[in-house]
Formats: sequence, C-alpha cells, structure tokens
Amino acid sequence: MTRKQKRLSVIAGGLAFLGAATGLTFYALGQKASYFYMPADLTTASLQPGQRIRLGGLVEKGSVERGQGATVAFSVTDNQKDVKVSYTGILPDLFREGQGVITEGSFDAHGVFVADSVLAKHDENYMPKDVADRLKAEGVWEESKSE
Amino acid sequence: MLFWVIAAILTLGASLAVLLPLAGGSKGASSSGDHDLEVYRDQLSELDRDAARGLIQPAEAAEARAEIARRILRLDNAGMAGEASARRASVAARLVATAAVLVVPLVSWGLYSQLGSPDLPSQPLSERLAKNPADSSVDELVARAEAHLAANPSDGRGWDVLAPVYLRMQRFSDAAAAYRNAIRLDGDSADRQAGLGEAIASAAGGIVSADAQDAFEAALKLDPANAKASFYLAVALAQEGRGQEAVTAWQAMLGKLPPDSPWRSAVEQALAKSGTPEIASGSAANGPAAGDIDAASAMSPADREAMINTMVAGLDDKLRQNPRDAEGWMRLVRSYVVLGKADQARDALGRAIAVFGADSDEAKKLTALAASLGLTATE
Amino acid sequence: MVETGHFALVLAFALSLVQMIVPLFGARLNNQRLMAVGGPVAVTGFALTALSFVALASAYASSDFSVASVWENSHSLQPLIYKITGTWGNHEGSMLLWVLILTFFGALVAAFGANLPATLRANVLAVQGAIGAAFFLFILATSNPFLRLNPAPIEGRDLNPVLQDLGLAVHPPLLYLGYVGFSICFSFSVAALIEGRIDASWARWVRPWTLVAWMFLTGGIAMGSYWAYYELGWGGFWFWDPVENASFMPWLAGTALLHSAIVMEKRSALKIWTLLLAILTFSLSLLGTFLVRSGVLTSVHAFATDPTRGIFILCILTLFIGGSLALFALRSSRLTAGGLFHPISREGALVLNNLFLTTATATVLVGTLYPLAVEAFSADKISVGAPFFNLTFGPLMVPLLVMVPFGPLLAWKRGDVFAAAQRLMVAFAAALLAMLVTALFIDGASVFAALGVGLAVWLILGALTDLAVKSGFGNVAAGIGVRRLLGLPRSVFGTAFAHLGLGLTTLGIVGTLCFGTEKILSMHPGETVELSGHTLRFVGLYPAQGPNYSEDRGRFELIGVSGSAIGEISSAKRFYPVRQMTTTESGIKTLWFSQLYLSLGDQGKDGSVVVRLWWKPLVTLIWGGGLVMMAGAAMSLMDRRLRVGAPSRRRGQASAVTSAGLP
Repeated sequence: MTRKQKRLSVIAGGLAFLGAATGLTFYALGQKASYFYMPADLTTASLQPGQRIRLGGLVEKGSVERGQGATVAFSVTDNQKDVKVSYTGILPDLFREGQGVITEGSFDAHGVFVADSVLAKHDENYMPKDVADRLKAEGVWEESKSE
Repeated sequence: MLFWVIAAILTLGASLAVLLPLAGGSKGASSSGDHDLEVYRDQLSELDRDAARGLIQPAEAAEARAEIARRILRLDNAGMAGEASARRASVAARLVATAAVLVVPLVSWGLYSQLGSPDLPSQPLSERLAKNPADSSVDELVARAEAHLAANPSDGRGWDVLAPVYLRMQRFSDAAAAYRNAIRLDGDSADRQAGLGEAIASAAGGIVSADAQDAFEAALKLDPANAKASFYLAVALAQEGRGQEAVTAWQAMLGKLPPDSPWRSAVEQALAKSGTPEIASGSAANGPAAGDIDAASAMSPADREAMINTMVAGLDDKLRQNPRDAEGWMRLVRSYVVLGKADQARDALGRAIAVFGADSDEAKKLTALAASLGLTATE
Repeated sequence: MVETGHFALVLAFALSLVQMIVPLFGARLNNQRLMAVGGPVAVTGFALTALSFVALASAYASSDFSVASVWENSHSLQPLIYKITGTWGNHEGSMLLWVLILTFFGALVAAFGANLPATLRANVLAVQGAIGAAFFLFILATSNPFLRLNPAPIEGRDLNPVLQDLGLAVHPPLLYLGYVGFSICFSFSVAALIEGRIDASWARWVRPWTLVAWMFLTGGIAMGSYWAYYELGWGGFWFWDPVENASFMPWLAGTALLHSAIVMEKRSALKIWTLLLAILTFSLSLLGTFLVRSGVLTSVHAFATDPTRGIFILCILTLFIGGSLALFALRSSRLTAGGLFHPISREGALVLNNLFLTTATATVLVGTLYPLAVEAFSADKISVGAPFFNLTFGPLMVPLLVMVPFGPLLAWKRGDVFAAAQRLMVAFAAALLAMLVTALFIDGASVFAALGVGLAVWLILGALTDLAVKSGFGNVAAGIGVRRLLGLPRSVFGTAFAHLGLGLTTLGIVGTLCFGTEKILSMHPGETVELSGHTLRFVGLYPAQGPNYSEDRGRFELIGVSGSAIGEISSAKRFYPVRQMTTTESGIKTLWFSQLYLSLGDQGKDGSVVVRLWWKPLVTLIWGGGLVMMAGAAMSLMDRRLRVGAPSRRRGQASAVTSAGLP
C-alpha cells in the first residue's frame, strides 16, 4: 500500500467506527428512551404490557396501602384519571400523599403499573419538573402550595 | 464610616495594580523563539536521560534527537525573519491605559452604589442576642432561649419556660416538642402533661386526639384537680358526640373549682354552648387556657393582641394568594371567631366555600366547624 | 464586613474587565507595559475575590441573617462546620466559589508564568479575564450572594438537610477545581488561536493544567458518587442523571485531552486536535454548569433554579463556545501540523484512545440532551436512563479498556504490537484464569461477570507489567530491577497508577453489579435476616435528638459464626423540623473492600419496619480506584519534564521558582 492508500484506509476505518457508534446511539435511543405519561394520556396511548414508561402525577390522597412486606400500592392521579401503581421497595423520604411523583416501570397484564423506581426530589416544594409543567398546563396545580 | 475608608483603600489598591505596571519601565522581553529553544533544549536533555536509563532504544533516541534538532533549526530561520522590536507606546496604547485606570474606580463605585447597602451593618446572631433583653422583640427573646437550649439541650427548666411561650406564639408542634423534652428531662408533672396535651390538640386544630387525651389523663393521674386536663377531657367527650357526659364533667368541675379560678368562666361558657346541639370543638385552641400561663410570658396583653391580629391578617393575606388550603381556612375562621370578629369570620367562611365548591368535603368540614363555633355561612 | 465583601466583589469585576482588555491590546500592539498589566491585575483580582468569599463565609459562620442568602440557607442551630460549608451549599455561594477558583488559577498563571512568552501570557490572562468578567457579571446580575434584608429575620430557613454532610462539603470545591481548571487549557487554546501560532512551551503548560484539572475532577466525581451512594439511601453509585453526566462529559473529554497533550508535547503532532479538544472540554464544563443551574433537565440533585439564570448562562455559553469555535475555524489553518507517525505506535494508540473517548463523550451528550431536543420539537416528554447508556457507552468502553495496557508498551513513531503482546502474556494468562475461576467457582456468575472480572484483572496486571518491563524485571537481577524501578520517571508511575486505578474501579463496578445481592423485608425487633452469608439481627428502633433534627435510629447487630454480635450497623430516619423534611441515613459496614448497606423504610403499625439490605462486594474499589487515579495524576505532575526554565541569564533562579510553583 502506498502512503496515500494507508491514510485513506485509516480515515475510512475511523469513519466506519463513527458510523457504527452513531447507528448504535440512535438504535438505543429508539429502544431505551422511556416516554413520560400522565394518567390521562394512557387512554389515548396504546401501550404494550411490559413497555417501559415513566408515569407522573400526584399521589392520590388516601390511596396509599402498605401490603405484604415492603410492597406498597398507591394511585397516581392527574385529577382526570388515576392509575394503580404497585412498588416494592423503600419509598423516597419525600413521598407523600398529594405530592408529585414520577414512577418508572411498566404495566402488567392486569393493568397495574409495576414501578421499579419512584422519584421524589429532595426539596420541600418539590414537584418533578415534568409533572409540574403538565399539571400547570392543566390548571390542577398552583405555584407554592407550602405555607 | 469605617466601611467607606476600607472601600477607598481597596479601590486605591486595585487602581495601583493597574497603574504600576503601566508606569513601570519596560523590561527587556525575550522573544518567543528563545522560549521555544529552551523547551527544545530541555527535551534533548530528557531524551538523554531516557536513553541512559534504557527506556528507549538507541535507534529511536537518535531519530528523536534528529527531529528535535530539525525543530531548532526551523526556529532559527523563523527567528531571523520575524524579530520585531517593541514599538513605543502609541496613541492607542495610551488611550487603553487611561481607560483602564479610569474603569476601576468608575465601574466599582458606580455598580456598588446600585447594588450595595453600605449603611447596613453586619448583624451576627450572637451580637443581636447579646443586646439588652429589654430592647429585644419577643422573637429575639425566643431565639435567645433557643440558642441557649441548643447549647444546653438537657436544660429541662429551659424547655419548661419555653414551652408555654411557644404555645402562645401558636408554634404548636414546637410547643409539644418542648413539653416532651421538659417531661423527659425534669420528670412528669401535671402542668407539663396538660400543656403537652393542649399543644397536641392545638396543633391538630383543636381536636383532642388520642395522643392528647393520653397526656391529659396522665396529668389527671398526677393531680386529680388539674383544671386544664379536666376541661379538655370534657371537650374530648363533647367532640366524640357524648355531649351529656361532657356536660356532667363540666358541671362536676364547676363544683370543685375555687371561686377565683380562671377556668370558671371557660367552663361556664362551654356549658352555655353545650345547650345547643353542636358542641364546641375548636374554640379550645385559643380559649380559656390562655389565662393561666400569663406569668410565663414576656408579653403584655396589648402586645399579644397586636401580634395575634397581625398573624391573622397575614394568614388571611396568604389565603387570598393560595386559596386551596383547607386547614388554613379553618384556622382563619376560628381565629376571627376568637377575636370576636364574627362578620369577618363569616366572610372568610363564604370565601372558603366559594373556593372549594359548596359540595366539596372541605366545604362540609368548614361548615361543621363554623356551626360548632356558633357561626352560620349566611345569615 | 459583609458590605466590604460585596464591594470587593464589585471591584474584582472591574479588575476582570481591565484584565480582559488591556493585555489583549498589549499583545496586539506589542506593548510591554500594557501586557505587564495582566499579572498584577490577576493577582489583585484573586485577592479581592478571596476577601469577598471570606466575608460571605464569615456571615454564614456567624449566622448573619441580614444577608439574604444566609437566611435562606442557614440556621443558627446548625453545627458550625455545616454553617461554613453552607457557604457553597447553595447557588449564590457556589458561584462565588467558582469565580474564586477561576481567579486563583488566573493568579497562578500570572505568578508563575514568567517562563511563558510575553504575548502568550498576556493573551491567556486576557481570555481568563473575559471568562471571569462574564461570571462576575452573572453573579452580580442574577445571583448576588450579598443582597441584604432589613430588618433582618431572627432565624434562617436551614440548609437542605441532605447537604448537611461532610461529603457534600468537599465535593463541590473538588468538582469546581476540575471544571475551572480546564478554563486554563481553554484560555491557552484561545490565546494560541489569537496569536496564530503554537509555541513549544504551549504543550508543556497545557499538560500540567490538564493534569491538575483532571485530578480534581476525578476526585470530585468520585466524591459525588460516594455521597449519592450513602446519602440518598438507594444504594446506587451512578444514576446516569443529567447532573452526573454534566460532570462526566468534561471528565471523558479531559481524559482524551490528557492523552493527546502527551502526543503534542513529545512529538508536536495532533496540535490542532489538542487545541480543539481543550476548547471542547471547557465548553462541556460550561454546559454542565448550565444544565445544573438552569433546571432545564429533571435531576435528583439540582440547585434551586431560576429561568433568568439559565438564560444568562446560556448567553455566556454561546459567547464562549461559539466565539472560540469561530476563532478556531478562522485561525486553525494557520497552525502548522506536526510530526508524522505510523498507525501502530504510541501516537496511534493515543489517537485511538481519543477516538473512543470523544465518541463516548458524544453518546453521553446525545443521551443527556436528547430529551431536551424531543421536548423542543414535539410535545412528548421522554427520559433517557441507564438502559440507553449501558447499550451505547458500554460497548465503547470495553474495547478501549482492552487496548489500554498496550498503549504504554508501544514505541513512539513506529511500534510493534507483537512485542507488546508478548510482554503482556502474563497479564493475559492471569486474566484468562480469573475469568475461568469466576465462571466455574462462583455461583450465579454470568458470562458478563466473568468477562468483567477478566477485563479488570487484565487492566490491573497490564499496568503493573508496564512498570515491570520498564524497570527491566526478568532481564536484570532483582536488585538492579528495584533500583531501576525507583529511578523511573514519575510520569511512568503516573501512567501506571492511573491505569491501575481504572482497573480497580472496573473491578469494583463489576463486583457490585454482578455479585451484589439485595433484600427488602419488613422486620420486627429481635428478628434476624441473612444475606450472602452475613446474618443481621434487628435490635430495635431508638429515638434520638440531634442539634437540628430528631431521628429514629434502627440498630442492627452483625452476628458472627459463633452466634455472638461482631459488629453493629445503624440506619436512621431523620426529621428536620425547620424544613419539615425527612431524610434517611443509611447504615454501612465495610468488610474488607466490600460493604453491607442498609436503609430504613417506613414503620409499620405493629412495630415492624421495612428494611432494605444490600451486599455490595468490592464496592469500595469503585472510589478507591478513583483515588489511585488521582495519585497517578499527582505523580505525573511531579515529573521533572514538566518544569521548563525561563530563557534568561537568571536561569537557575527562574527554574527554581517554576519548579516550586507549578502545581
């Protein structure tokens, strides 16, 4: 190989590598990004059981039930619809009824949302941004509920 | 004054940092070529060290040495061509220098006059607390007591003094904690238990909960004649719907109370109210209990009234901004009733119901509360 | 005192304006006097910023609630240490710390830059001044820590309880030392572009700064990861959270820069690329600052956010990134290319390293910003989490890690892969053995686990092989070998330690992810639970009172083989009344390199409590590896090659100064 050919092959190799990395990235984005839903969206969106999504809203007042061991069931609501969520594990310290949460997981065959993570940020006025935006848009939630 | 002196000195120092180099003589600067040469020399010596240590093969070392030598040669050529002499300070340079010297004081004093609060001294907490107590506000006195207790958390007497003050300031959960600490450290007493019960009940908006009941019962065990505990236990009975038993309890109290007891009028009021089907539930929080802890408070009655009025006005204001706060409304309605401002109470009730809608749970609760306080939504 | 600090801050801003403009003109007009202004102004600016910071810290320490930021983020009952660390535990104070470090580094360049060509030094200080001016303006306009309240409130609102922790007291300063350290590399790059030439001393200056910044950033990230691990109570060490990614991207790019700067220094090759990389690294640092402060992305640990701040930082970001890249496009063609090399050589290996690292940076960047893009162009909200990064970042890292041990064993210019492979035979055999042992003898080990362990062993032994080969073990007598080992340049040790640390971190991650176990259960006092061979007995819940919180502490005993207690772990639920916040204090017991991790959940009505238990094998190696990497960077910094004297008759004196002065 001449020097020029060598250089070309190195450049081609580099480009092929970048191409592969780009392809992988977009494939992964398509597969692994989880969409954010509010309970009211779920009627319009058709979801397969097992598809990972993020579900956000307010923890419905009076809906939290402690089950066997560390399993907790509660409802997430946007005041239009509510969704039953089951979660096994330790809830974040700021998980409270009437407060905003984001849960991540998927629906099981019975239509119960099985969450493997429940998020609530460490901030006294916390409302997850995704949830706050949507609730504001729907007029459910007003700024600064705290006293 | 001192601040302005410091500010002036700082400005002077900063200006000097700009001025001195400008005024200084120009040092004979070396050209960048000299610097490069220095680096290459150093690389050569490093190469020699590495070669001596056997870190690189002799052939490689020779090649690298040749490469560095080539760079040095290239440098020499470039150096011949591009040796520029420092120009004398041109007009432009003088302009820049003048602007730079002016910028420092102008920008700093200009901006500071907009942003700063030069007249406001530092106010470290310890200094504020060290002031003469007579000049201090109630808040400051409380803060002083809190600081003392933070340093000596096992001072039971301190908690004992602070607890009723908290209660007075409507910091109910703090009051409950303080009573608990006092009980833990200085032991049980009927007054402390009764105070704890009152704090818990007040924190719950006047509802005598199971916890509060426990405390009152403990107080009665220690001192069967404790008026506060007896009174609240009767309130509890009334709240449970056992109105008749409550009346009996109050009547029994009247029989035992000494004639000058501040509780007498409270019991009489309660009895008077219990004639109607809805029995008092909430008025207890701000009710007769106030009378017997005056001694512990640093406030004059006028101060206290003014403070309560401000608090209530503040709450009203907050609720206008954030109306969806059912507990806040309950507190507000109750407060107006206690202050004897029935019209305002009614107005608040009307507004609250408008917020939640007449059919909502909150509205029902509020109406029930109002009824228990002897108030109706619309006359 | 407070107002003095405020005035000093304003004055420092004025000086930064001077520092930005005067030396730049000086370099243009080749006027010695104007150029000479840069140094003293930079040092004075630092002194004033330091004064300002001390004033703020003393306001915090003395609970001066007439200062708004103290009132919002402090409380008189906090322990003194958290009062002081609270200074930078909030947005305003941490920005002040940011510029303090920026001016500190500027002052270092000014003080020890005597061996730099005068115009380069002037231009670097000017760019540094420009960054400073932008951030001073940002602070004064949107986040002034010295705003006052009159009358002063009597009590503050308390520092966020999760921030009342020593780990978080150390984490931000380390992280900022890293972020801001890259500003020097950026300034050097922009200065080179302004001049249109790269001096030979350029690489010698940029490399130590990259090392310093990288070292602190490594420490900052490791500290932050450990903090999240024990404080958030979820037992995870990395969440691929936007804020974490924000610090990880400059680290990846900085690692690439570290390696390309070696090529540039040794061979004058990759000049333009190194310059671009330096610009990109600092740009990513700025992007990180923007992401954290603006709140555009949902994150577990974001500051209280404010849209005006976000827009302001976005402007700074656009100005500096756009400006420097435009300058790069205009000027880079004037820079001369450097030495040639064969693809298979030390340079080739380092280029490959750069290719992988920058691609990895790009995937993290895409994953972090993709939700923003989707939100901007459609109404959908999405989140990109660990599954995405595992799928993209993982495959990129594995081949890179496999190649790491080869790099240092290849010769410059033209290397011999087979010779290097031969030298690595021992490491390779050991890695293979480790894989087999893992696969055969450890229950439940997956193929991935075996490969992971093998990879980690490969990295660790590869790093040691490098040292052994360079000191000639095997060819010379042991005594001579030891003497030669001790005589090796520090930078060789630096490389070996950094790669060793990488191996240890890999081992820690593999151990925790593949062999960790967890249990969630509800326990009554007196009950025992077994996890991976460790038996724990729940003793009970005990209430306790802290200075500004109350807690329920769950105590657990670790039961030994004999049935008696051999250790205690306790985890607590803390309640901070001022903010009405509950936090979980996790309980951790370290057994060798592994940890037993425990966190309390809700209490049941019957006296039971939900307990989550993890067995995390080798987990401490994750952060221990980070420390070893930092040690490697520190050793590299001490290498004598990084000290270059000034070209003058006072050479001895000057080089003594620089050798003492270079960090």
